[in-house]
Amino acid sequence: MNSVGESCTDLKRDYDQCFNRWFAEKFLKGDRSEDPCTETFRKYQRCVQKAIKEKDIPVDGVEFMGPNKDKPES
Amino acid sequence: MLFRNVFQKSVYACYLKPFLVPSLFPNNIGHTVTGSRALTKNTVKMKIWSSEHIFNHPWETVTKAAMQKYPNPMNPCVFGVDVLDRSVDTQGRLHSTRLLSTEWGLPAIAKSIIGATRTCIYVQEHSVVDPKEKTFELKSTNITFTNLISVDEKLTYKPHPQNPEKTVLTHESLISVKGVSLSSYLEGLMAKTISVNAGKGREAMEWVIMRLNTEIEELAATARGTMRAPMAAAVAGK
Repeated sequence: MNSVGESCTDLKRDYDQCFNRWFAEKFLKGDRSEDPCTETFRKYQRCVQKAIKEKDIPVDGVEFMGPNKDKPES
Repeated sequence: MLFRNVFQKSVYACYLKPFLVPSLFPNNIGHTVTGSRALTKNTVKMKIWSSEHIFNHPWETVTKAAMQKYPNPMNPCVFGVDVLDRSVDTQGRLHSTRLLSTEWGLPAIAKSIIGATRTCIYVQEHSVVDPKEKTFELKSTNITFTNLISVDEKLTYKPHPQNPEKTVLTHESLISVKGVSLSSYLEGLMAKTISVNAGKGREAMEWVIMRLNTEIEELAATARGTMRAPMAAAVAGK
């Protein structure tokens, strides 16, 4: 799977591989040892946040299924 | 690898039919639709989906698959998935915020209206995995085209209460279309499209589960192969 930022795809794949392994082999089995992927995640994040700003994608704290949900004009 | 070539599928397979707003979210799974409708000024709010589906796989398998759902050949419109934030809270639950990038083809008339025949729709998703309670809950909403439509979805995966080898998925979808009143015919069309997409979503999950199991078998076969040679050498050496 690619990243929204084309240049971030390799960093994303490194992170995904690390995360999927930790998630399946540690986290889901109740092993509370620390997530070993923080450094790969940091590098990947720096790239993605830049791509999101460049593409002007309105990422934010979004309200979900509010009773009278009426989002501001995008 | 078996599955590598399926992703050559053209993104032109993603097409928004005019006046019909399909579920934008490949997460849709389910096959029963219950609807209720409320009219408010300038906005029609509809609860289209409220459904349940059972997977014949244990919760851990389904959760792992759901976490790696993309790419899959049933949802070619999703071209990007990014993790924006991830953390484990004090109760040991994993929170993730993700951005899904989807691309759609538009009817030719769109060229004269918006000047393009393809468009990207972005979806933001927040999920929580509780490994103690065995729940995986995902909430997603579109963050573009919000002046036209709002599609909110909530999916929850839990072990089947009577059979731990099965998993129950409950799915809710809330759709608000701004400034357009939908006839019951269009409501029916929307429900039908969601139902079709729901089938694809279910297929997608089965496909991912099969892919993960194949990878595990391949790894095991490789491990057996690498063990056989030194074992044979050890036996021959005796």
